[in-house]
Amino acid sequence: MSVSERESSPGSPASDGGRPKRVRLVGAWWGPTVGLTGLGLISAIELGRTDASREVFFNVAQPWAVYVMLAALVGLLVYGFGRHATLWAIGQPTPGILREIPMRVRNAVRLGIGQEKVRRDPYAGIMHFCIFSSIIVLTLVTAQVAIEDDTPLSFLNGWYYLFFSFYGDLFGLIGLIGVGMALYRRYFSDFHRIRWDERIEDHAIIVGLGLILVTGFMVESFRIYTTELHGFVLEDGTQLEAHPDWARWSFVSYVIAEFLDIFSPTQGHMLAAHTWSWWGHVVLAFGWLGLLVFTRLDHMIFAPVNAFFLRTDAPGRLATIENIEEQEVFGVGQIQDFTWKQLFELDACVRCGRCTEVCPADVSGQPLSPMHLIQDLKAHLASVGPDLQNAGHTNGDVRSVSPIEMVGDVIKDETLWACRTCGACMQECPVMIEHVPTIVDMRRYLVMNEARVPAAAQGALENIEMRGHPWRGTTLTRESWMEDFDDVPIFDGSQEYLYWVGCSGSLVERNMPITQSVFRLLRESGASFGVLGQEETCNGDPARRLGNEYLYQILAMQLVETFKAKNVQKVITNCPHCFNTFRNEYPQFDGHFEVLHHTEFLQQALEDGDLTPRHSVGTSVTYHDSCYLGRMNGVYDAPRQIIEVLPGVDLTEMRRSQSRGLCCGAGGGNMWQEEIGERRVNHVRTEEAVGTGADEVISNCPFCIQMFEDGAPAIQPDEEGRIRPFDVAELLERSVLGTENGS
Amino acid sequence: MHLVVCAKQIPDPETPPAAFRIDEANNEVIPAQGIPPVLSQFDGMAAEAALRIVEAAGEGKITVISLGQESAQAAIKQVLAMGADEGILLEDEALQGGDSYTTARTLAAAIEHLGDVDAVFCGRQAADWDMGQVGLGIAELLGWPSAIIGKDAKVEDGSMVVERVTGDGFETVSMPMPAVVTISNEIGDPRYPKLQQIMQAARKTVTRLDAGELGLDPSTVGDAGARLKLERLFIPVVEGEVELMEGETAEEQAQALAAALREAKIL
Repeated sequence: MSVSERESSPGSPASDGGRPKRVRLVGAWWGPTVGLTGLGLISAIELGRTDASREVFFNVAQPWAVYVMLAALVGLLVYGFGRHATLWAIGQPTPGILREIPMRVRNAVRLGIGQEKVRRDPYAGIMHFCIFSSIIVLTLVTAQVAIEDDTPLSFLNGWYYLFFSFYGDLFGLIGLIGVGMALYRRYFSDFHRIRWDERIEDHAIIVGLGLILVTGFMVESFRIYTTELHGFVLEDGTQLEAHPDWARWSFVSYVIAEFLDIFSPTQGHMLAAHTWSWWGHVVLAFGWLGLLVFTRLDHMIFAPVNAFFLRTDAPGRLATIENIEEQEVFGVGQIQDFTWKQLFELDACVRCGRCTEVCPADVSGQPLSPMHLIQDLKAHLASVGPDLQNAGHTNGDVRSVSPIEMVGDVIKDETLWACRTCGACMQECPVMIEHVPTIVDMRRYLVMNEARVPAAAQGALENIEMRGHPWRGTTLTRESWMEDFDDVPIFDGSQEYLYWVGCSGSLVERNMPITQSVFRLLRESGASFGVLGQEETCNGDPARRLGNEYLYQILAMQLVETFKAKNVQKVITNCPHCFNTFRNEYPQFDGHFEVLHHTEFLQQALEDGDLTPRHSVGTSVTYHDSCYLGRMNGVYDAPRQIIEVLPGVDLTEMRRSQSRGLCCGAGGGNMWQEEIGERRVNHVRTEEAVGTGADEVISNCPFCIQMFEDGAPAIQPDEEGRIRPFDVAELLERSVLGTENGS
Repeated sequence: MHLVVCAKQIPDPETPPAAFRIDEANNEVIPAQGIPPVLSQFDGMAAEAALRIVEAAGEGKITVISLGQESAQAAIKQVLAMGADEGILLEDEALQGGDSYTTARTLAAAIEHLGDVDAVFCGRQAADWDMGQVGLGIAELLGWPSAIIGKDAKVEDGSMVVERVTGDGFETVSMPMPAVVTISNEIGDPRYPKLQQIMQAARKTVTRLDAGELGLDPSTVGDAGARLKLERLFIPVVEGEVELMEGETAEEQAQALAAALREAKIL
C-alpha cells in the first residue's frame, strides 16, 4: 500500500493535496522577477563595456558615523536576543531537537526561506515575497557598497556597476509593491484577521519599511540628478561627469530625476536634499533593524529557525512522558514546564491570525483562539520569566514564583478543552508553531495533576478505565455486529490482516453498519483477515488526547503485548484515530505494525481488481476529510480514488477540503464533551456539506459520521431532501455488492 | 475525625443486555465475560461526601471498608485514589454469600473493631440488588442515628447535618455523632482522582480481616447467617406485538385503531 501519500501534513508540508491552483500562481511570481533580473544582467554585460562607477560616499560628510550606528545595532541585537535566549533557557530540554539535521535544514530552507506556508494565502504570499526578496537583495546591495568602500576589492564598476544599479532599483520597486500591498490590506481593505491583535509596532514596521524604500529612491534620484544627469561643478571645483546612459540603468530613480527638472532645483538645494535624505535613509534603516529586538519583525530570524526546530516525526504523534510514575508534576502547569523549543515558538508568533481563522472552535464561537493562546503564553513568559530566572539562580522555589496560575488564569480550562487537536492551526502557521502538543501538555496537567476534567469527558475517561471503551451506557457488545454473520473469522495469527473494528465500530449503533460493510468488502476481496471480538479494548487514543497520558500508556503497553502475543503484523482499522495511534504512536512503545485505514486497503483492492464496482449507484456526494486520516496522516487521495471510480457517483468538493478541511468537531476527545459557544462545529461543517447540494456526505471516520448524523436534522429540519452521511465503505459496498444501505 | 466509607464491588450495571446471563439452576448471575466488576456508583458518591467533610474540616481520616472477595481490592483502591486514607477488606469464606442483614452485621463489627469512628457513609443502595438496607442496618446494630438518601452532608458544632432528598424537594436534618449517612446520586459525580493519588493508592496496603478477627461467630454471618433466601432468579421475557392499522386515509386508519382498541377492551 502506498505510503507516499503521507507527505502532506501539518509538520511536513510537501505534496500538498489541498493546494489550490491559485497558490501555484504565487510561485509563478518568481518567473518575471528572475527573468527581468537575468535580462538586466545580460544587457549590462552586452552594453555596459564602459568605465561606469560612482563614488561611494558621494556628498556625505562624516561617513564613519554609519559604522558607529552599525556597531550600536549589533550591540542592541546581541543584547536583545541574549535576553530572549535567557527566557527560553528556563524551559526544559527538548528531546531529539538535533536529530535528523538534513531534514531540519531542508525544512528551514523550504518553510523558512521558501515560505511554503506563507503562500497558502496567495495575497500574503506575493506580498511577502516582494518584501522578503527586496530586503534580501537590498541588504546585499548595501553590503556590496560596504565591501567596495572598506576592502581593497573593487567591483562596482563597468558592466557590473550598471547591472548593480539595475537590480537595486528593480528590487526597490518590488519592495514598494509589497509594502503597497501590505498598506492596502491593513488600511484600506476589510481584511480582519491581522487586526485581531493589532499593535503600534505593526504600523511602525510597515510604514518604516516604506519610508526606507522611498528615501532610498530619493537619495539615488538626487545623486543621479546632480551627477549623471547634470554633471554639476561642486564648491571645491570638482567637475562631475554627466553620464545619462549610466543613469538609465537605475530606471526608477532615473525617471524620478527626470521629473525633478520640473522644479528646476538649484545645485545647492539638490546637494542639501541629497545629504538629508541620505542620512534619513540610513537612520531609518538602522532604526528599523533595531525593531528586530522589540517587535514581531523578529520573525525574519525566528521563522526559519523555528522551521529548523519543527518536529521531524509524524504530526499526529504526541510526545511520551517518560518514566511517568517518577514525575513530580504531570504535564505542563507552569511556563517553565514547557520545553525551551515551546518557549522559543512563542517568540516566533507574528499574530497573523491564520491559526484562529481555521480553528474549528473559533469558527463556531467557542472559547479558543490559538493565536491568542500563544500570545497570552508569550506575555506570561515575559512577565514571570525574569523572576523565574532569579529564583532558579538562587535555588528558590520556582513553583511559587508566579502570582497567577498559568493553567486556569492565563489559559482558561475551557480554552484547553475546546481544542479538537485537528491540526488546522499547525497546518496554516507560517512560522511553524505547534499548538496542539502545547495544548495537550496543559490538558495533561489539568487531568493528571489537578483532576480538573469536564463531567462528560470524565465519564468517558472513567468508562475507559472501567470498561475498556469510552461509550458509556452502550447496550451493544463488541460482538453485536457479528450476529448477522456466521463466518466472521477470529484472528489467530494465521491470517495476514487483523481487522481492528474499534470501540465505535462495534458499540455505537450508527457505526455498526459501517463495520459490517467493511467486513463484507474484506470478505468479497478475498483478503486473509480476522477480528479480535471480545478481546478488543480501547487503544488509549481518547485518553491521550484528553490528557490522561498515564491511562493511555497502560492501555498502549497492554495492547502492544496482546498484538505481539497474537503475532499481529498488519492491521486494518475502521477509525482514523485508531489508525493514527497504531501507526504513529505505538512505535513509541515498541509496537511496530503495518497499519492501513480501511479506505487505503479498499482502494488498493479496487486497483488490484479484487473488488469490482459493478452497480451504478446514482447519487451525488461530497467528501469530508477526517483530520486524523487527512491532515495528520496525509491520506487525501485513496478515499477520493474510490469515490471517483464508482459508476453513477458525482463528487463535489466543499470549499474547505483536503489539508484545509474543517474538523467535524469531535476530535481531541470532544466526542465526549459538551460544547460551549455560539454554535456547534458539526453544524457549521454540515452547513458546508449541504451547501454543495450533494445528496450524501461521505467520510471515513465513525466520529465524523456521528457528527453529521447529528448535524443534518439541525441544519435541514425537513427530512425530505436531507443530506445523509455515509462511510466510504458503505458507498463502495452499494456499487460492489449492490446492497441498498441508504439508497 | 474518623469517617468510614462502605464500598461494594458489583457486576457492572452497564453490562449490555446481550452479555447479561444468569444461572437459573443456582439462582446466580454469571459474571459477564470481559466485563470487569465495578465500584457501586452510590458508594463512590458516599466517598465524595466523606471527602468533602474532611476537606472542610481541614483534618480527619477516612477508612474505606469493603466486604467481598479479592477482586474487591480494586473498589477499595478506587476510593483510596479519591483521597481516602486506609482500606480494609473483609475477606473470608465464612463472610461470603449473605444478605443485607449479615452484611450490615459484618460491617458494623468492622466499625466497632476500628473503635473511634465518628460517622459512616454508605451509598443509598448497592446498584446490583438495590436493597438499600445495609446503611440502616449498620445504624441499628450500632445504635446510632441515621439519615438516608442525602445529597450532601456537613459537620456543624459536632453534629452531622444532612441535606436529604425527599419526594417533593429537600429537607435538612441534624443528628448527634456518631451517625450513619447514606448518599444519593443528587450529590453529583464523585471526583476524578489526581494521578499522584492514584499512584499513592496503588502503593497502599489494604488490611484484611476475617470473621474471627472481627469476633463474629461464622454461623451468624455469610450464607449461614442469612435470613433472606432467594427463591428464584430469572430474566423476564418481554413480548410485544405490533399491528399496523390498514386504511386508505388517516381517518380510516384512526377508525380501525379505535375499533381495535375497543375490541381489546382498552377503550
